Amino acid sequence: MGRQDGPGFPKVTAGPLQAPLPGVRSGQEALGRLVESHQALGWVMVTPALALLAVFLAYPFALGVWLSFTDSRIASPGRFVGLENFRYLAGDGVFRLTVLNTLLYAGVAVVLKFVLGFALALLVNREFRGKRFVRAAMLLPWIVPTSLSALVFYWIYDSQFSVLTWVLRAAGLVDRPINYLGDPNLARAALIAANVWRGVPFFAIGLLAGLQTVPRELYEAAAMDGAGPWSRFRWITWPLIMPVAVVVTVFSTIMTVGDFQLIWIVTKGGPANATHLFGTLAYQRAVQGGFLGEGAAVAVFVLPVLVACVAVAYRTLRRED
Amino acid sequence: MTRGVARLLTFQLPLAAFLVFLLFPFYWMLVTALKPNRDLYNLALNPLWTWSPTLDHLRRLLWETHFLPWMKNTLVISVGATALSLATSLLAAYAIGRLRFRGSGVLGIAIFLTYLVPPVILFIPLSRIVSGLGLWDRPAALVLTYPTFLVPFCVWLLLGYFRTIPQELEDCARVDGASRLQVMRYVTFPLALPGILSCLIFAFTLSWNEYLYALVFLSSTDQKTVPVGLATELVTGDVFQWGPLMAGALLGSVPVALAYSFFVEHYVAALTGALKE
Amino acid sequence: MESARITRRRFLRDSARAASALALSAWGLQAGQKASHAQELTFPVERGASLRVLRWSQFVTTDRPIFEENARRFTQRTGVPVRVEYETWTDVQPKAAAAANVGSGPDIVIGFFDEPHLWADKLVPVTDLAEYLGRKYGGWFDVCPQYGYSPQRNAWIAIPIGAPGVALNYRVSWVREAGFDPDPARFPKTTDEFLRLCRALKARGHPTGFALGKAVGDGNTWVHWCLWAFGGRAVAPDNRTITINSPETANALEYARALYETMIPGVAGWLDPHNNRAFLAGEISLTNNGISIYFAAKNDFPEIAQDMNHAFFPVGPVGRPTELHLFSQAYIFSYTRYPNAAKEFLRWVMEDTQYGRWINGMLGYVSHPLKAYTNLTVWRSDPKALPFRDAVARMLPHSYAGRPGPEAARALAEFVIVDMFADACTGRRSVRDAMRAAEDRLRRIYRG
Repeated sequence: MGRQDGPGFPKVTAGPLQAPLPGVRSGQEALGRLVESHQALGWVMVTPALALLAVFLAYPFALGVWLSFTDSRIASPGRFVGLENFRYLAGDGVFRLTVLNTLLYAGVAVVLKFVLGFALALLVNREFRGKRFVRAAMLLPWIVPTSLSALVFYWIYDSQFSVLTWVLRAAGLVDRPINYLGDPNLARAALIAANVWRGVPFFAIGLLAGLQTVPRELYEAAAMDGAGPWSRFRWITWPLIMPVAVVVTVFSTIMTVGDFQLIWIVTKGGPANATHLFGTLAYQRAVQGGFLGEGAAVAVFVLPVLVACVAVAYRTLRRED
Repeated sequence: MTRGVARLLTFQLPLAAFLVFLLFPFYWMLVTALKPNRDLYNLALNPLWTWSPTLDHLRRLLWETHFLPWMKNTLVISVGATALSLATSLLAAYAIGRLRFRGSGVLGIAIFLTYLVPPVILFIPLSRIVSGLGLWDRPAALVLTYPTFLVPFCVWLLLGYFRTIPQELEDCARVDGASRLQVMRYVTFPLALPGILSCLIFAFTLSWNEYLYALVFLSSTDQKTVPVGLATELVTGDVFQWGPLMAGALLGSVPVALAYSFFVEHYVAALTGALKE
Repeated sequence: MESARITRRRFLRDSARAASALALSAWGLQAGQKASHAQELTFPVERGASLRVLRWSQFVTTDRPIFEENARRFTQRTGVPVRVEYETWTDVQPKAAAAANVGSGPDIVIGFFDEPHLWADKLVPVTDLAEYLGRKYGGWFDVCPQYGYSPQRNAWIAIPIGAPGVALNYRVSWVREAGFDPDPARFPKTTDEFLRLCRALKARGHPTGFALGKAVGDGNTWVHWCLWAFGGRAVAPDNRTITINSPETANALEYARALYETMIPGVAGWLDPHNNRAFLAGEISLTNNGISIYFAAKNDFPEIAQDMNHAFFPVGPVGRPTELHLFSQAYIFSYTRYPNAAKEFLRWVMEDTQYGRWINGMLGYVSHPLKAYTNLTVWRSDPKALPFRDAVARMLPHSYAGRPGPEAARALAEFVIVDMFADACTGRRSVRDAMRAAEDRLRRIYRG
C-alpha cells in the first residue's frame, strides 16, 4: 500500500525546483542542492531510522533466523541442522495446537477490536459535555502496563473470587462459580476479552485521529446533496480513514499474534496448552528449556503466519476501494 | 423528546457501556488498592466496595519500594525512546512518502517487515549487541532498543497521514516561494499532527509498558522501570501484594492519561483550526 | 538401582542414594562420613575484586536486610564490594540465560532447579567449596549432589542454597471434625489414609484444593509427589528411556482422580497464588503450599493461623517420601574476573554464622541443604514450621530418575506431568491416553 507512484503520478514534485546554477559552490548552495534533490535528501532522511533498525533489529533478527537452523542451546553455539527444527515442530502436537490457538486468538480479537474501536471513535468524534474526560478515560486500558492489567484480569477470572461471578450471582444469572481459566474454550474467550479490552483504545484513538482529518465541509456538502448518514459514512468517512484503518489493523494484528505477557501472566499457556501462542511457546522452549534453536524456529514460524494475517486484513479492508 | 430518546439510544447508552467495559478494571484496581488485606479474601463481603479503606498499601508502595525512582526512570526512558523514534520516523516517512526517490518503495516494505519480528526471540541475540556496546544496565540500552518496535509503526502511520494531505497544498506553497524545509515545517508536519499525535501516544505507551527488554537489560534496583520494579518487589513467591501492586498500576497510569487528554484536545483543536482556514 | 523394586523397609537415604548412584559414583566425596576435622578453607581474594550477585527477590521481608547485612560484613572483612540485584524468582532464569549467552553479567547467580546444568560449561567448578561445606556441616542431603554435581563437567558446578519447601496445609478444626487427629505427627501417613481424610473433609462441605493449572510451584510439587509415591517415573536413570507409560503411573493417576473428586471446582486453572486465597477465605480445608499462607494468616487472619497446621506429604506404595520442592542453587559464571572472591562470598554466605542468621530470618520459607543446619533455631521457634525443616531431606530431584539438564528443564517448563494429571483428573483424556500423550511429549523432549 502507499506506493501510488505508478503511472498516473508523473506530476511529481520536481517541477518548481530549478536546477541550481553550475559553478556556485558556497556551502549553503550545496545544502540547498541536497535539500532539493530527491535522491540525496531521501536517503539522508531515512538513514537514522535505517541505522537504528539495522543495528538493533535486522542484525539480531538475522542471528535469530540463523539459530532456527541450528541445534544450539543457550550458551552453546550448536551446529547447522538445516530444516530439522521445522520438521520436528511440524510433527509436534503442542506446536500445531499453538498455530490454531494463535489464528483463533488473533482473528477473533482483531475483528472485535476493530468493530468496537471504530464504534467508540465514532461515538466520541463529536462535541458533548465531558468529552475531555471520556477521551482521556478511554485511553486508560492502553496506558496501564500490561504486566499489571494482566494481574487484574487474572483476579477477575479467579475460580472462587471472581467479581464477575459475584455480579452474575447477585443478579441471579448463575448459581455456581464459573471456571474461567480451567476450561480450554472459556480460557481462550477470557484471554481474548482481556486482549480486546486492552486493544480497543488503540483502534479508537487511531481511528479518531483519522476521523478528525475528514473536513467538515465534505459532510455539509454531502448533506446538502441529500446524502443520509449511511451514505455519508460509506462514501466520505470510510475512504478517507482507510489508510489509517489499514495501518492500525495491520499493526494490531502483528501485536496480537506476538502477544506474550497477558498469556504468560494469566494462564502460562494452560489449561493443557489451550492458550499457548507462538511467543509463550518460544519462550518456554528457548529460555526455560534452553533449546535456543528450536525456540527460534517457533518464532520464525510467526513470519509466514503474520504475512498471511496481514495480507488478509489488508485485502479485506482494501477491497472496498 | 424523540431526539432525546434517539440520543440516549445511539449515543449515551453505548458510550456508557463502553466506559463500564473499559473502566471497570480500574475501579477494581482502586478498590483493591484501598482495601485492607483482610477484606480481600472475605467472600461474604461485597467485593465492589470497601467499608474500611486504608492508605497502608499506598504508604507501602511509596515509602517501602523504589516506586518514585522507577517512575522517573520509566519517564526518562519513555520520553527518550519516543523522541528518538518520532524524529527518525518523521524524517523517514516524509522521505519515503513524499520524495519518492529511487528505492523508497522497497524501503517502505522493508521497514514494515522489521515489525514482524517478535521480541521474544530477539532478546537473546540482542543482549549480545547491547553488551558489546557497553550499554548493559544503562537506560540508553532501552532508549536505543525500543525504537525497533516503535519506528516501523510510526513510519507506516505517518505514511498514511502524509497521503491524506493533498500534494497540491505543498505544490502551492512551493510556487509561493517556500523552500522544501519550510514546506515541511509549516505545511506538511502541522497537517500530519493527528498522525504525529497517534505515534506519540503509541510510542510513549509501548515504552512505558515494555517488560522483557527492561527486565533483561537493566539490573540495579534503582535503575528499573515501573512494571519490572513492581513485579520484583511486590510479588513475593506465590503471594501477590495486591494492594500496593494495584496502587502502583493506578499511580503509574493516571498521570499519563491526564497528560494525554491535554495533548489530544490541544492538537485536535489546532488541527481543526488549521483545516477550517 | 531398580528403585521401582525398592521395598518398604528400606530407608530413605539408601533408596535416594541408589537412585543417584550415577552422580555419586563420580562424586567420590562420601559426604557426612568424615564430618569431624573440618579444616577452615579460604579462597585468596583477587586484588581489586568486586562482585555482582543476581538472586530471587525475597519471599518474606526479613530476608533482604539480612542478606545485605551478610554481604556488607563480607565487604568489611575482605574489601570486596558486593552489589546485589533482585528479580522475581521466575525472572532470574531469562536474565541468567542472557548473561550465559553473552558472556557478561552477574558474577554469581542464585537461581532454581536445572539452571546451572543448562550452561554447565560456562560455570566455575566449585567442587572444593562443596566438599568443604559438606565436611564441615555434617554432609549434604542426598538430593544436593544430584543438583549441584555435573557428570558432564565431572565437578560440582553449583552450591545448593536451600529449598523453599512445600507441605500440606490444613485446617485443624475441620480435620478433627472429619474424625482425624489434627496433630501433624499423627496426620495421615499413607496415601490411602490421606484419601480417606480428603473424602471425609469433602463430605462435610470442606473440599480440598490442589493446583492443576500451570502452577510452577504448587502444581508441580504435588503431582510429582503423587507420581513417585506410586512408583511412576518420567524417565529411567539413563536419562533416555521414557518410562512414564507404566502400571505405576496409571495407579498414580487413578489415585489423583479419586483425590480430584474431593477438590473444589476450578483447580484446573489454578496458578501458584490461587490456593493461598482459597485457603485464607475458608473455601478449602487442605492444600499444598509453602509457609506463605501461614504468614499471610498470621498478619491478617489470626483466627485462621490459629486453626491451621502443616504436615508432610503421605508416603505411597513405594514406602518412602517422594516429595518435590523448589530447589535453589548458587553458581559462578566463568566469565567472572574474580572466581576466588565469588567462591569466598559463597563460602561466607554458607558458613554457620551468616547462613544461620539468614535462614532463621526467613522464618521457615527456605530449608537448608546441609545436615548440620537441622538444628537452627528457626525450626524450634514455631512448631507449625517444623514440617518445612525436612524439605531437602525428603525430596527427590524433579528430573527423577534422570538427571537435571535441558531435557528435564523443558519437561518441567512445559508442565508435561502436570498436564498429564490434569488431563486424567478433569476427564479430558482417559488415564491411558493421558499417559500416552505424556509419553509422546517426553519422547520428543528426550529424543530417546
